[in-house]
Amino acid sequence: MTELARVATPASREPRGAWHLSGALAVLALAAAATSLVIGRSSSGPTFGFGGPEIASIVLTEIRLPRTLLALLVGGTLGLCGAALQGLLRNPLAEPGLLGASSGAAFGAVLVFYFGLAGADSLALPAGAVVGSLAALAALYALAGKRGDFLTIVLAGIAINAFAAALTSLALNFAPSPYAALEILFWMLGSLADRSLVHVALALPLMLPGWLLVISAARGLDALTLGEETAASLGFDARRTQWLVIGGTALAVGGAVAVTGVVGFVGLVVPHLLRGRVGHHPSRLLVPSFFGGAALTAVADIAIRLMPPGPELKLGVVTALLGAPFFLNLIVRARPASAA
Amino acid sequence: MPLSLSPPSRSPRATRSRATRRAEDSRPSSLARRASAVRAVAVALLVTSAPGAAPASPLPSVASINLCADQLVLTLASPEQILTVSWLAADPEESMLAAQAKRYPLNYGTAEELLRFHPDVVIAGAYTNPFTRALLARLGYPVVELEPETSVADIAANLKRVAFAIGRPEHGDALAAELRAREDRIAAARPAHAPAAVVVRPGGFTVGQHSLADDIMTLAGVRNVAAEQGLDRWGSLSMETLLRSRPELIVLTGYRASQSSLANATLAHPALRRVREAGRTAWVPAPYWACGLPESLDSAALLERAAAP
Repeated sequence: MTELARVATPASREPRGAWHLSGALAVLALAAAATSLVIGRSSSGPTFGFGGPEIASIVLTEIRLPRTLLALLVGGTLGLCGAALQGLLRNPLAEPGLLGASSGAAFGAVLVFYFGLAGADSLALPAGAVVGSLAALAALYALAGKRGDFLTIVLAGIAINAFAAALTSLALNFAPSPYAALEILFWMLGSLADRSLVHVALALPLMLPGWLLVISAARGLDALTLGEETAASLGFDARRTQWLVIGGTALAVGGAVAVTGVVGFVGLVVPHLLRGRVGHHPSRLLVPSFFGGAALTAVADIAIRLMPPGPELKLGVVTALLGAPFFLNLIVRARPASAA
Repeated sequence: MPLSLSPPSRSPRATRSRATRRAEDSRPSSLARRASAVRAVAVALLVTSAPGAAPASPLPSVASINLCADQLVLTLASPEQILTVSWLAADPEESMLAAQAKRYPLNYGTAEELLRFHPDVVIAGAYTNPFTRALLARLGYPVVELEPETSVADIAANLKRVAFAIGRPEHGDALAAELRAREDRIAAARPAHAPAAVVVRPGGFTVGQHSLADDIMTLAGVRNVAAEQGLDRWGSLSMETLLRSRPELIVLTGYRASQSSLANATLAHPALRRVREAGRTAWVPAPYWACGLPESLDSAALLERAAAP
């Protein structure tokens, strides 16, 4: 009954904890963003400032601002969707890549590379990714929509993921030139380099409705922690909650992958890092995970530009490099508690 | 008159997206850039209309962000025109012109680096990061995108395109004509017997038809078995297929042959060693075929020498 009482009045226990955490993470993300605006990269390594008065305004508005905005938006999307999916599927391994949305988007983008359309129009690539992401979602709905239980959705998601990954490998195998194959490979590691405001304008209209769908499922996610039947008796429709989260994730993650490629680890690790601080209500984890993801990605993108001279590291590589030690530390510290 | 950075014989490939035009309409700095681009093209036209005459104003400055583009620029441009080439151009394992490239600042192909150089024209490859190409075009820089060369004819065409874009079209025409003449001489001198050959690249890859390597092999009087079997461009080659095709000549090509890697390990496969003992082997360092250059034709001599009885 205490559980029930908590769901009925979600604000009853430490309501301010999550908001304080969100505020702190938002400040961290903004600080990272501000730093990101003054750090550049030349052939001889990192640079600070804007590279001379005559190009300063172009460097700031056309190169670093879009890059920084996308780091926040993409990181936030991955954190938010990761937290919602872990809550929905009650599985700590859930992440945005699980449902096939990222791999579908990646395959759509790879097809654009494969047919050599990426050069013809810079929007062909993101458009391909969005189509791929929506196709993966449609396939998921066709496979699991009728039954609609969590296990079917996860298994169908894994199957779609594997299929999209296999098609991507196939495209790699038949790539028209080794150079095309290399571009495809890089796409699978994610990057924010040289994106423009056009890409922000392309991703945001997909991300915003995606976020709103996911957040509107917050109360339903809390109710679902009690089991589907109890949630139903409280007036929450499990199916509705589920498709809000899945549809929102496909839209938002599709938009993110469309402009940055596949950025791994953020959606998995950020909710885990924050869960201990907000308690085990999925709803309280959503907003902190958004800001946490934004902060992690912005910091990772700064780290990329601080590396010694050389070609830029890919974003997915650095998010994993930064995230994995935190994640391992968390697991190691949690161990004695669970053993006791 | 529409601006074009290509010779009239080829379709214009300089990217000017819708976003570029919008950006140019709204920002004075882009208009200034555009003015300098107009100047660059005007210079090019001036030089074409008065062959032999010394250019009245300085040649357009050039930045190159792709290994193959770098080497064409190094081949064609006047040294004072070149602002920067990409880092790979200075690596002797990747580039035929590494020593020449080392004289210039190197770039890693990002828009922010290039902005500092303020080039009149940027030369890129068709598979260079599409985001970088689009962003540079959006900022008002004319970007020339080069398709990878799959034949000697393609090399001649790219020589002309780059030469035209950097305001030295007569130089490009001359080098292209010289290249085609050399091609004819090699074809006329090739031996009557064409040995069956297979190209083995590290990692178990080979090359088929519609590739620069295949075109030069044919020119040098060597039969590319993989192309005869219908392989298009490039693909993988199993040891079994290799053994079954009984090649008289194995053409090894690759990078950094001395470094150990999984890909290089395939070149040491016992089955491959047996085939090599039975026939002949040619070694063609990868830079000859990675990019289409006048120097690529030198590989014909490497093949002929290895195949000679």
